[in-house]
Amino acid sequence: MPKCIIDGREAEFSVGENIVDIAKRIGVSIPVFCYHPGLSVVAQCRMCTVEVEKMGKLQTGCSTPATDGMVIHTNSQKVLDARQSTMEFLLVNHPLDCPICDKSGECDLQDYSFEHGSQYSRYTEERRTYVDLDMGPVIQKNMNRCIHCTRCIRFADEIAKLPEMVAMQRGNATEITTADGRPLETDYAGNYSDICPTGSLTLKDFRFHKRAWFLKKTPTICAGCSRGCSIELQTHDDHVYRIIPRENQAVNQYWMCDEGRFMYHAYQEESRLCVPWFDGQELAWQEALQQLRAKMTGALFLVATDLTHEEVDAVSQLAQFYGAQLLAFGSDTDADYDAILRRTNMAANFHGLKRRGLSWYAGQKAELVIIVRAGRTKLPQLGETPWVGMGVFWEKEKTPSCQGILPGLSYLEKNGTVTNFQGTDQALKQAVAVPGMCRSVPEIVMQWMHGGERG
Amino acid sequence: MSEETLYIQHFHAGAASLAYYQEKMQGYQAFPKAFAMGQAKVIDEVKVSALRGRGGAGFPTGMKWGFIPQASPKPKVLVCNADESEPGTFKDRELLRYTPHLLIEGMLIGAYAIGARSCYIYVRGEYVAEARILEQALKEAYAAGLLGEKVCGLDFACDITVHRGAGAYICGEETALLNSLEGKRGEPRVKPPFPAQSGAFGCPTIVNNVETLTAVPFIISRGGAWFASLGRIEKSGGTRLISVSGDVKKPGVIEIHAGSMTIRQIIFDACGGILGDRPLKAVIPGGSSAPVLTADEIDVIYDIEPLAKIGTMMGSAALIVVSDAHCMVKLIARITKFYAHESCGQCTPCREGCRWMEDVLERIEHGHGRVQDLGLLTDIADQIQGKTLCALGDAAAGPVMSFVKKFRADFEAHIRGGKCPNAS
Repeated sequence: MPKCIIDGREAEFSVGENIVDIAKRIGVSIPVFCYHPGLSVVAQCRMCTVEVEKMGKLQTGCSTPATDGMVIHTNSQKVLDARQSTMEFLLVNHPLDCPICDKSGECDLQDYSFEHGSQYSRYTEERRTYVDLDMGPVIQKNMNRCIHCTRCIRFADEIAKLPEMVAMQRGNATEITTADGRPLETDYAGNYSDICPTGSLTLKDFRFHKRAWFLKKTPTICAGCSRGCSIELQTHDDHVYRIIPRENQAVNQYWMCDEGRFMYHAYQEESRLCVPWFDGQELAWQEALQQLRAKMTGALFLVATDLTHEEVDAVSQLAQFYGAQLLAFGSDTDADYDAILRRTNMAANFHGLKRRGLSWYAGQKAELVIIVRAGRTKLPQLGETPWVGMGVFWEKEKTPSCQGILPGLSYLEKNGTVTNFQGTDQALKQAVAVPGMCRSVPEIVMQWMHGGERG
Repeated sequence: MSEETLYIQHFHAGAASLAYYQEKMQGYQAFPKAFAMGQAKVIDEVKVSALRGRGGAGFPTGMKWGFIPQASPKPKVLVCNADESEPGTFKDRELLRYTPHLLIEGMLIGAYAIGARSCYIYVRGEYVAEARILEQALKEAYAAGLLGEKVCGLDFACDITVHRGAGAYICGEETALLNSLEGKRGEPRVKPPFPAQSGAFGCPTIVNNVETLTAVPFIISRGGAWFASLGRIEKSGGTRLISVSGDVKKPGVIEIHAGSMTIRQIIFDACGGILGDRPLKAVIPGGSSAPVLTADEIDVIYDIEPLAKIGTMMGSAALIVVSDAHCMVKLIARITKFYAHESCGQCTPCREGCRWMEDVLERIEHGHGRVQDLGLLTDIADQIQGKTLCALGDAAAGPVMSFVKKFRADFEAHIRGGKCPNAS
């Protein structure tokens, strides 16, 4: 393997790799604005300039492929001066409204300004300002904060495959905007906010709700479809404020869809049932389970394709306990939805249930159906058959034939394992406390089968 | 001026026709000769001729052609850069207007040498009449079988397309030109890959200036050694068309043997001296992007390397002569305004820095300058120079640094006096 030397440290690399990536791997951080490993290289921001021996000018680390024996300095006085001057240029027209900016605390511009900027400004001319057009429901634009890195334009072209972001005008007046000023149309608009290195594109959904530094971050998996994108739940005081994608080259690279990004809201709504409910009244767990135990002759268990393997295990124990049948329900097909990330099957563990060899519910008759699900799977058509729900349900789902609901956990509140469309088993991690009197499926099953006086 | 010239005697109405080119300029005889020589020999001949690019960078043309990866399975492309937009430069316009067939033949030879079938002439948007003349010449050439499937009846196919620019200075930068040619925003590309590897439509591409290509038929018909001998200085062959503008008695395009005259000789001998016989104040030697020279510095041979040695550049050979009738602060303010306006806005130093310099210069020009502004100006220019994606940043920064350094007193007079000292 060829080797280069970065700040005195030897680094191996594969041909074609750029200096920024190699440096990152050996623990040398080179500041970047326009460079994003998931997008094409434009070398526009000039922040990542490094000094390469035997090359006269400073080189941009993002666009310069390393060669064997190259000696690179990322911390020489020349480099530090260049960084400081780039910071000065980027800030002359920046409003510096960090106290009221949503990006504050997680802003590349702010961080690098702290690290490489000057304490004083020499700029006394009038600042450039823009008038912002509405960009639709997902993204709030503030062009005055923009540093023209064009990550959003490249994201639209290369990832969302919808060239809706463009640069208008030219030179100092360049404005990054949507084509013809129309609202954004992509289903992946939330990523604009993630990749924006300033507060120029922020999420309307998250805006002014929480300062970034209060957020507790839990790495987990999105339960929105069979892809299972790696995500980070950002919470504070057991409330989810935002979801952002995590890098996972095998599954979602750096991105996630808007549906996955915003679906958590449903689980924090008032209408979610969080107290055991039976025959029209709220009951304590003990009483609800006691009533159920008496009704189990001729029962049928239906598990949704969004349950974790652990939950299915627990339910199948319960079914065995009663000698009842266990069937799966939910869409039983899966395909690519848009050739980007989304899959047509919107259940997190469809492929897991398939792999377990479960049969699908096809109108089998029963005295009582126990439906177990984690949130979004469409309820099966049961006609007049009475049913009891275990898991996540909402007020509106209390049909006349619904006898009771045992409130369970959504993907925000539980640990577990699900299998994605590639056959990879991925782990869900609990990010917030269990709401109300909800209980996890294994917990309910345990108490149902061996329950004592608790609850 | 009694020496042999190549172009200038043909700069008159009526020279643009195919008949004139064939009768008076041995037209379309160089291409069959080149074809008989073979590709490698043509490139060698151009290398021998010491022809250097006439667009501004002065890169040896033969060497550039040699960069084309002949083994690449992709089609090769030759592009003629006729987006002549540097303030002060107007030599290519004369060539387009009066000798379009010379350019076409030069392109044919170039296309043959690098193995290109598709050629483009990217004409500056404002050159409407010139684009029409080119179209007319191409029509003539196609009708005469000099372009198309069998060029001059030989086994070589070549098509030339005229593409008009939309008026951006930056599209004269070769990679921005290629973007514009492809129908994209005229913004320079990241290099590498260089156009010779991946240029127009992702194919290996050579971009040459108009004057460069028009020299090629002469080199082929009369030999590279002869062409090199026209140059009076090492590493620079042929004659050079120089656009002289500003305060001289006879402005216009002149032709000299490369390296045969000093700037003083050009101004006082070839162009008749300063307008109104006023004292000379400054000379911008290579188009507005070249660092300025004072009146004491003009005894320098007017060619690429002598000028580079004294810290300026020959660029596209546009000599802008400034007499003491003009305010140097106003001049640099105007030049900087041009670059700030033409900056594409891609990269940070140029986008932010050029406008900043423009604002500061405008303040100084109108008497609102501060003492620290001069240091600030040089700092900004220094922060731009050599740190941008393309050469436009350097083009904007170089003049500012040189003006502040060489005419500091003029700036200080503006700042102290609160107005232009020349103003009544």
